[in-house]
Amino acid sequence: MRSLDIAATGMIAQQRNVEVVSNNLANMNTTAFTRRRTEFHDLLYQNLRRVGSTSSNAGTVVPSGVQLGLGVKLAAVYRIHEQGNLTATDNTFDLAVQGKGLFEITLPTGEAAYSRDGTFQLNANGEIVTHDGYPLQPGITVPDNAVDVTINAAGEVLVKIEGQVNLSNVGQIQLTTFPNEPGLEAIGDNLYLETPASGNPTSGNPADTDFGSILQGFLETSNVNAVEEISNLISAQRAYEMNSKVIQTSDEMMGTLNQLR
Amino acid sequence: MENTSLIAMSKQSALNQKMAILANNLANMNTTGFKGEKVMFVEHLQQSKGGHGILGDKLAFVRDIATVRDFSEGPIKTTGNPLDIALQGDGYLVVQTDLGDRYSRNGHLRLDETGQLVNQQGLPILAEGGPIIFSPQDTDIIIARDGTVSSENGEIGKLRVVSFENEQKLEVISDGLFSSEETPTPVENPGVVQGMLEGSNIKPIFEMSRLIETQRAYEGVRKFIDSEDERIKNMVRELGKPI
Amino acid sequence: MNALEIASRGMMAQQVNVEIVANNLANMNTTAYVRRSAEFQDLVYNNISRPDTSGSKAGALVPGGIQAGHGVRVAGITLNNEQGSLKATGNPFDLAVQGGGYFEISLPSGDPAYTRDGTFQLNAAGELVTHDGYPLSQGIVVPAGTSDVTINLTGEVWVKIAGQVDLANVGQIQLFSFINPAALEAQGNNMFTATTGSGEASPGVPGGAGYGSIQQGYVESSNINPIREVASMVAAQRAYEMNSKVVKAADEMLAPSK
Repeated sequence: MRSLDIAATGMIAQQRNVEVVSNNLANMNTTAFTRRRTEFHDLLYQNLRRVGSTSSNAGTVVPSGVQLGLGVKLAAVYRIHEQGNLTATDNTFDLAVQGKGLFEITLPTGEAAYSRDGTFQLNANGEIVTHDGYPLQPGITVPDNAVDVTINAAGEVLVKIEGQVNLSNVGQIQLTTFPNEPGLEAIGDNLYLETPASGNPTSGNPADTDFGSILQGFLETSNVNAVEEISNLISAQRAYEMNSKVIQTSDEMMGTLNQLR
Repeated sequence: MENTSLIAMSKQSALNQKMAILANNLANMNTTGFKGEKVMFVEHLQQSKGGHGILGDKLAFVRDIATVRDFSEGPIKTTGNPLDIALQGDGYLVVQTDLGDRYSRNGHLRLDETGQLVNQQGLPILAEGGPIIFSPQDTDIIIARDGTVSSENGEIGKLRVVSFENEQKLEVISDGLFSSEETPTPVENPGVVQGMLEGSNIKPIFEMSRLIETQRAYEGVRKFIDSEDERIKNMVRELGKPI
Repeated sequence: MNALEIASRGMMAQQVNVEIVANNLANMNTTAYVRRSAEFQDLVYNNISRPDTSGSKAGALVPGGIQAGHGVRVAGITLNNEQGSLKATGNPFDLAVQGGGYFEISLPSGDPAYTRDGTFQLNAAGELVTHDGYPLSQGIVVPAGTSDVTINLTGEVWVKIAGQVDLANVGQIQLFSFINPAALEAQGNNMFTATTGSGEASPGVPGGAGYGSIQQGYVESSNINPIREVASMVAAQRAYEMNSKVVKAADEMLAPSK
């Protein structure tokens, strides 16, 4: 019976749906996490009787035909890059981006990765690095004798050196934007890689037109909306149950058939 | 032997034939790409010796004339396996055997030890330039709707999908393979779907009802033969009694 | 034509009915999926005794006659194109149509396809494409260096280009309507193609007479009502069982008398 296979595709699809929603909910408190949404597409149709075919010699046309669907499939899981909320942490090296753009990080392999997670710290050499120790690009080093570090909205890193009145500028943080941010590949640890789908990176100074500005002492929270996700979870679960009812019914009908003799 | 017995026997042997076909159909309920069969019966009229019977001059015997294969499309189900393909619409895949090209709708494929695309019996599936061979660097296999097989390293070949003028002339060999004397023509717009398989086109409901009919008919004929047998025995006994 | 054959056809028709319900329920969360329902038709009738034949020498006509039917079959599976409810996603490229009309997509073969699924994204060149990578036939391109894309109710695409104060119009999304959308042929992937039965696609500006408006940041949910589907399924199962009882009865009737 087709309905068994159809319902199976439905249950598998809803299972994926629940997995994506659970991942969203699990990462509700992950800095700068972007929520995902599942997109389902119906599968092929088999023509038992072609739509629009003629039904008689007089040329009368079959209006709807008999097209039987074969179920559902997961077409895409895409990220929704909406700005998350900002939360104050008062850490000197916690930076949040308000607007478009990602920080560029250099991976140990030399490859460039991108991130919205602005939780940085200083390593033993005074370089600004992520919590995994990967340096921020362009490399910025804070001198040992710095008393205070201020990072303004334009990303300039200004330090107060002991004994000096004026602040000295030790570097300029840059942001990178892409034509299609959802096309970036997520590799975990809040890092993304460039792909052919994302388009080429464009770097620039924060607070310039088309780049976001940097807020020191703040972090961007995830853009997961708990209420929306719970309602998605409930609808996924209901759909899963409905499909399992179809399997039950098909099973009973096949049982009826077997009891004919 | 009496005509009645002969007529009944012809019916019985026809029913046996029908049962055998039914059993084969039901046995192949879950065979990928299986096409069910039906028997066609015809009356065989013979001149009746010995005068005018109630039915006129002719006696009708039952003779099975041919089996008709149902080539309608079976239900297509999703398996998610990248080497499973289903053909939506007309067409057959071309399989290379030692005895020449054979044809099949069974798209449950795998790779052999040389990376060649083969069916479950290890026979290669042919593309337009010969068999399809994957290298160890090909991990992502994509088969497009028109039959083009490619991997992340580029296009490898285009599967041959062919059709026949007269499908009823296809001879079934074994393992879902058909052979034909006719030269097939390539299908213009093939519908090759990756990750799905075509099931058997047997409709269990109809096979069950035919099973019931056949079995009841068989019982009916048997009872008829038995009662005829009784009648003849009685006749012999009665007529043969000394007066 | 015997009861056995008729009852088997009845069971087959109910099986197709369940298959349709199964596909509906599997697609409960598919964007803009429309529910299908089966059209049953009774089969040809044999006139064992024609209506209005005379019943006696006196010439009295028997109005009823005796007509034996041959069972049922599924004559068609109809699309029930009711509007699905809109769900907010917050994605600027998720568009829902409130009202009538379809988006027109260009397939790689060059042929047009129509869909109500308005979940788009930008490809590397900034073109507005579906999740399968097929572009809108109007060819909307968002230039690089834009921050905000606003698509209003009438389908105009406005972007904020760096350095400019005013928003720039980069295109107009059109909607296409059909005389008989129930006769569109489904191709899977939430797409349809036109047929002789549906009529030609006629383009129009969203929000105009006969065309719906475009809602940015929303998707149209499927119009499946699970309660109705489960009820259909239960009814189909009961009908299946009743037909199977007829099969059993016919079986017993065919049994030769002892």
